Amino acid sequence: MTTPYVLQGGLVLDPASKQESVMDLRLDGDRIVALGGNLEVKPGDTAIDARGLWICPGFIDLHCHLRDLGQKDKEDIETGTRAAAAGGYTTVVAMANTEPPVDNAATLSVLLNRIADRAHIEVLPVACVTKGMEGAELTNMVELAEMGAVAFSDDGLPISNMAVLRRALEYARLSERVIISHAEDRDLCQGGIIHEGARATAMGLSGIPIAGETVAIAREIEIVRSTNSPYHFTHLSCAQSVELVRRAKADGLPVTADATPHHLTLTVDQIQGWDANYKMKPPLRTQIDQEALIAGLKDGTLDAIATDHAPHTRQDKCRPLEEASVGVIGLETALALTLERLVGAGHLRPLEFIALFTSKAAPVLDLPQPSLQIDSTANIAIVDPALRWTYSTSTGQSRSHNSPFHGRLLTGKNILTFYQGRPVFTDKQALQNRLKEPV
Amino acid sequence: MPNRSTQSTTEQNTIGNLFEFDHDGLPLFRRRRHLIDTQDLLKEEVDCLMEVAALCKKNHQSEVEPLAVLSGKTIANIFYENSTRTRSSFEMAARRLGASVLNLDTKVSSVAKGETITDTARQLVSMRVDAIVQRHSASGAAAHVATELGDKVQIINAGDGWHAHPTQALLDFFTMTEIRGSLSGARVAIVGDILHSRVARSNMWLLTKYGVDLNVAGPPTLVPAGLESFGVTVHNRLEPAIEGCDFIMVLRLQMERQKQGLIPSVGEYKKLFRLDHARLQLAAPGVRILHPGPVNRGIEITDALVDDESKSLIDAQVANGVAVRMAVLYLLLTGKESVQ
Repeated sequence: MTTPYVLQGGLVLDPASKQESVMDLRLDGDRIVALGGNLEVKPGDTAIDARGLWICPGFIDLHCHLRDLGQKDKEDIETGTRAAAAGGYTTVVAMANTEPPVDNAATLSVLLNRIADRAHIEVLPVACVTKGMEGAELTNMVELAEMGAVAFSDDGLPISNMAVLRRALEYARLSERVIISHAEDRDLCQGGIIHEGARATAMGLSGIPIAGETVAIAREIEIVRSTNSPYHFTHLSCAQSVELVRRAKADGLPVTADATPHHLTLTVDQIQGWDANYKMKPPLRTQIDQEALIAGLKDGTLDAIATDHAPHTRQDKCRPLEEASVGVIGLETALALTLERLVGAGHLRPLEFIALFTSKAAPVLDLPQPSLQIDSTANIAIVDPALRWTYSTSTGQSRSHNSPFHGRLLTGKNILTFYQGRPVFTDKQALQNRLKEPV
Repeated sequence: MPNRSTQSTTEQNTIGNLFEFDHDGLPLFRRRRHLIDTQDLLKEEVDCLMEVAALCKKNHQSEVEPLAVLSGKTIANIFYENSTRTRSSFEMAARRLGASVLNLDTKVSSVAKGETITDTARQLVSMRVDAIVQRHSASGAAAHVATELGDKVQIINAGDGWHAHPTQALLDFFTMTEIRGSLSGARVAIVGDILHSRVARSNMWLLTKYGVDLNVAGPPTLVPAGLESFGVTVHNRLEPAIEGCDFIMVLRLQMERQKQGLIPSVGEYKKLFRLDHARLQLAAPGVRILHPGPVNRGIEITDALVDDESKSLIDAQVANGVAVRMAVLYLLLTGKESVQ
């Protein structure tokens, strides 16, 4: 049992209730039990001086790869959720493209057992849309949903056959789950390594065209129009993709979308030499695309920021760019990078910003609304928005090191995460003068 | 250790010119470890290299014994892609300078068993190889090995994917300057499959440093996006690209491009892009033709034009290749210890 906690004088940011005020919180057991000014600190309580800090609902990541099963040299449930907790997350949605992929009840059952045994926070597993992610035969979506699959996706690969996608969307209604789209036209993207344009040409690399994403989104939107089943576009990278989703939403279609921290903070021109830590799918695009993603976050076209945390070993990444694995880790840097980019640059107010990790992310997959009210589950991220720190993959929690942000000076950091009332991440250094242990 | 006394006698007899040679570019080469691309070569380095190449060419043409300036050095050739001319050119260049040459057969070595290029290079480092001449099908392969092992071995890029082939561009440059002297203000065209051509890219980086009016032409499906950013003029037709040109570089058309659907047929390609004597009328009167080889006679260039010694520089390119590669090896592999 942990002691009760009293969080004193923090700025409580609760986007669901639009609450934004300096208050104390009392946590006891797995609940928030009191809210208000000057809460009493009783003997046996742990008090935290939270002045200058943001008290937020625990974050939700709609898209990460924890690699358990089968790729534990990259990440597993334990290390992945430790990294997530460090980033302020209390719920992560784990993609199904593991080895083997999560496309049947037996595999899902193994994964659920691992989660029960090893996860530090809530892990919601995604199951595949199609068997073996081959884009042909549907999985037992109802059975998998009943077991605990939170959504369906073949992420990592697109569903290229629109007849299959249409059946999947129709059938998914029985499962009452959302399908998450990895929108990529494989013919147009064939062999592509980075964004098509001057940089790819100069490096002698095959380019990934804008149309490689927009063509897929456009036709998938038309399938949604004909089925009216909920559909989520993850990791949008292009300006025109944002516009397509904006129009679909205006038409009343049940679509949602997210963008990653790396697409919000890096462009193709910022790729450093031949460093494979800048290789991801979709690829880093241009300044115009990045600005459109930000505009989409501001006007509600995009619902959430999702990491697409994609761990790879040094061996997978340390190869000529063409041969290196695709993806970057992001759970531990997501908050700081986007805080600087969106709040620091004046695009969003803190409450709007935190909503992208909490209240606006939850409805995408019909998750319970995270909140900071009396009797809410005590899932809390405590952020120091002014803390300057240098991110290092070697002191990070993830098993992998494939981040282009290694060595980057960042402002803003999650310093304490509560999951069901228990601290699951503590930045001891940042908290050393704030923590008053019980006597 | 090589026998220094014998060596110096040989050197004095044969390459006095090279020892007395001085140039602003020399200190730059003393600090340079690798040759990955022409993009980051300074003009002073290129000018210096050209002068050394001219000296090497004289040596190579006179039937004297090999120079001994690289005696005691070992240069490994690792060609993951097939090559006859570049590999033999590097090998001859190294031998003419007195270096030992190790040719790694990538088909029978552990490379064939899935060893990474870095691990293969690391084995050579353990054997105390001084430099690795590498060709690989992946763009960035040379830079990758240089990043991983660059403090232990010198890397010379003999072609990486579509990215770069610096010694080819340097020998093309040498060949053109032999004909015209300065290339400033010269009009040059590069025609054909630009998309897949490392030769085109390395030539573009190099020639645009020298104020060349550079024109590029190829079928739109074989011209990559954003090519204008190199500082070249892009044409879709051959004719406007070669108009008034002093030099035309013709690129090889890989036959599989048709199978990939990048061109409808070789016949149509020939109709639109094959260089022949008639089209050459559009170029400057003294126009000369270059081709990196191997030539598809009758596809990208007519048989008659290949064999027209008044126009074709193809044989000169091959001959100059040895001299330029001697210069590259000499400048990269000597003068290091004396500075550090």
